[in-house]
Amino acid sequence: MDEKTLAALRHAYKDFYFKHSAAVEIPSRIGEREFGYIPFGGSMIRHLSFKEGGELLATLVKEGPSSAYYSCAYYHDPTAPMVEKGWKCADLIFDIDADDLNLPCKDGHDRWTCKQCGFTSIGGKPEKCSKCKSTRISVLNWVCDNCLQGARDEATKLLDILKGDFSLADSEISIYFSGSMGYHFSIQSHNLEGLDQAARSEIAGYVAGIGLVPESIGVFKGASFEDLMRGLPYSNEPGWRGRLMHVLELENMNQEYTRDVRAAVVSTVEKLRYRGFKRRLETLARNVSSRIDPGVSTDVHRIFRMPGTLHGETGLMKKRVRRLEDFDPLIEAVALSEEPMEIEVSNAPKIRLNGEFFGPYRSERVNLPTIAAVFFIGKGLAKIPDG
Amino acid sequence: MSLVELGVADLAKYPFLPEAGERIKQQGLSLDDLAHPDYHVVMERAKDRIMEAIKRAKVSTNIDDPDKEILSFPLALLIVRATKLEHLARRYSLGEAIRVESFLEKENESMISHIFKTVFGIEPISVIAPVGSQKFDVKISIPEYLKRAIQFHSPEWKLINRVVDGGYVYLRTRELVRLIREEIRRIIQEKLTAIKVPSLSSEVQLVVEEISKAAPPPPQTRIAVTPDKYPPCVVHALDSLSRGENVPHYGRFLITTYLLRIGKSVDDVVALFPKAPDFSDKITRYQVEHIGGLRGSRVRYQVPSCRTLLTHSLCFKDEYLCYDIKNPIQFPSKIGLTKLEKEKHKSWTRKR
Repeated sequence: MDEKTLAALRHAYKDFYFKHSAAVEIPSRIGEREFGYIPFGGSMIRHLSFKEGGELLATLVKEGPSSAYYSCAYYHDPTAPMVEKGWKCADLIFDIDADDLNLPCKDGHDRWTCKQCGFTSIGGKPEKCSKCKSTRISVLNWVCDNCLQGARDEATKLLDILKGDFSLADSEISIYFSGSMGYHFSIQSHNLEGLDQAARSEIAGYVAGIGLVPESIGVFKGASFEDLMRGLPYSNEPGWRGRLMHVLELENMNQEYTRDVRAAVVSTVEKLRYRGFKRRLETLARNVSSRIDPGVSTDVHRIFRMPGTLHGETGLMKKRVRRLEDFDPLIEAVALSEEPMEIEVSNAPKIRLNGEFFGPYRSERVNLPTIAAVFFIGKGLAKIPDG
Repeated sequence: MSLVELGVADLAKYPFLPEAGERIKQQGLSLDDLAHPDYHVVMERAKDRIMEAIKRAKVSTNIDDPDKEILSFPLALLIVRATKLEHLARRYSLGEAIRVESFLEKENESMISHIFKTVFGIEPISVIAPVGSQKFDVKISIPEYLKRAIQFHSPEWKLINRVVDGGYVYLRTRELVRLIREEIRRIIQEKLTAIKVPSLSSEVQLVVEEISKAAPPPPQTRIAVTPDKYPPCVVHALDSLSRGENVPHYGRFLITTYLLRIGKSVDDVVALFPKAPDFSDKITRYQVEHIGGLRGSRVRYQVPSCRTLLTHSLCFKDEYLCYDIKNPIQFPSKIGLTKLEKEKHKSWTRKR
């Protein structure tokens, strides 16, 4: 990115932090956390610590960073090298990214470019360039309402699991739009904060439906009809047993024996036999689970985007979600000003921001509100014109 | 929480409890006294405890003579300590832990509650009503469960395969007791290592020598790992890489940590990655060096556990060969394999 464009972005972000510092959420126990940021045109600066919120806000206003992060972990000495920080405990975090959901709409709006020959095509990232077979490929992930709906559905399932199975209170769960294509959950629970990586991996596996065995719902090798009738769960049972039986019942509802749906499920299990049912169960679990990124939840040292700060690639805010069911990120997370900005944009798809559509653009010079101009620049599709 | 009065029979079952030590103190008995010929039966039982742990990996549960049981426990600890054999200390404490487990499984609710609360800091809550089609005895909080269950590799202990509701994991008594075996073992081993061995009488010294001779040899140190002995998860990830497929980030992390751990150089590891779709030599080298603790935070990253790999869908467990390992680095461990399994393992290795 050229210096002129970087300077414009820096200016827009500084302006936001100056005028809207109240939007930035000061993390609890601030003195025990590690902070970091990426300046525009620079690389990550981390191992920072702030004693109080004012100091943190002053840094944001001064630097106007592309992205700002805080650790989910609490340390004795947050500024020390990683091995000497002295890990105390950590918030439990979850990351849902629409890009990981591989929704069919990706094929319609994502775009890849071969770094070798410059060939560009619509769709998800292929293994190799279809023209020159190079594997050096860059990708443009776009966001549409369908992607955002998909991410919100996953967030809703996660919230149900956290409140039901884990009995977490609303006050312990913070939900945020990530500022890009998904949702972040941050759990501050005294009971869970001390869990190590292995225990968090178990929780991530539980939420993501990984590692389920048929025996846990009463299906074992050589089970008779009676064994299955007796051993299978009921759909009103708590946790995964009930959740799975519920979808199994829905699936078997239309079969000929709908008079007794339980018997229909048993008959399906018998037909598929143990191995076939195991595979079926894995698919069901994937659909019913919340598609989180397990690596994020498992990492006890993770630095996470700070709530109330701007995303470097979109200009959207990591915004707290009060009501997931009617949260529209492309309205509520829009945070930059409406002040016009002239940009040179090329090959940009359409985007809806704050209820207004911008694009698509081929290759043109346009005057757009800062919110849209920054979005296109952040995605690498625009720059401030020369001269 | 009910107040539980511990009788002599209870102390015979659970001689690691502080109350058992108190009882010995009240009787005014020292370790020297217990080694005296007058306490011949106690010495014999102490020897038996250790020999049972050596031969059958479990100390027997007869408590017909409770005092003999209570007194022989610290004496057995002293003897094991005096052998200075660390692997024997581990084996013996495990044998005692399994003995305790057998008693706890049949224990009444108030005793379970007392022991779990006072010794392990767990507060199990009795469950009376069935949960759907299943009956349980107790429930414990999810963190209390996880802290212990993560040591088990078998799928039945994975949180997703348990009944979880309202912040609790539902368990049968047998399962609750199995959860804390390692903690009991650790408590017993800690007691054992805390002993400062006094000068021993010739009779006790003879017993120590006898036990030392009977003890199994220490486990062998690890041999160099050749590619045909890589664990299935690493083999799978390497195969994908060599086919030019895009191995997920965590798969590469596994390859890197594993190969560095078994002594491969940074160059060896970097050389594996050129076929990856998003390869960049400079970045790969930096990342490999970072993981190896040569850059950045200087932390050498550990090989991820089997459990974590399973969570990332990177575990391709071989039921035989992986057996009960918890980390790919333990592969191909033969610890815990039965004679028959060892033979199968050998024939498999030959075939490869």
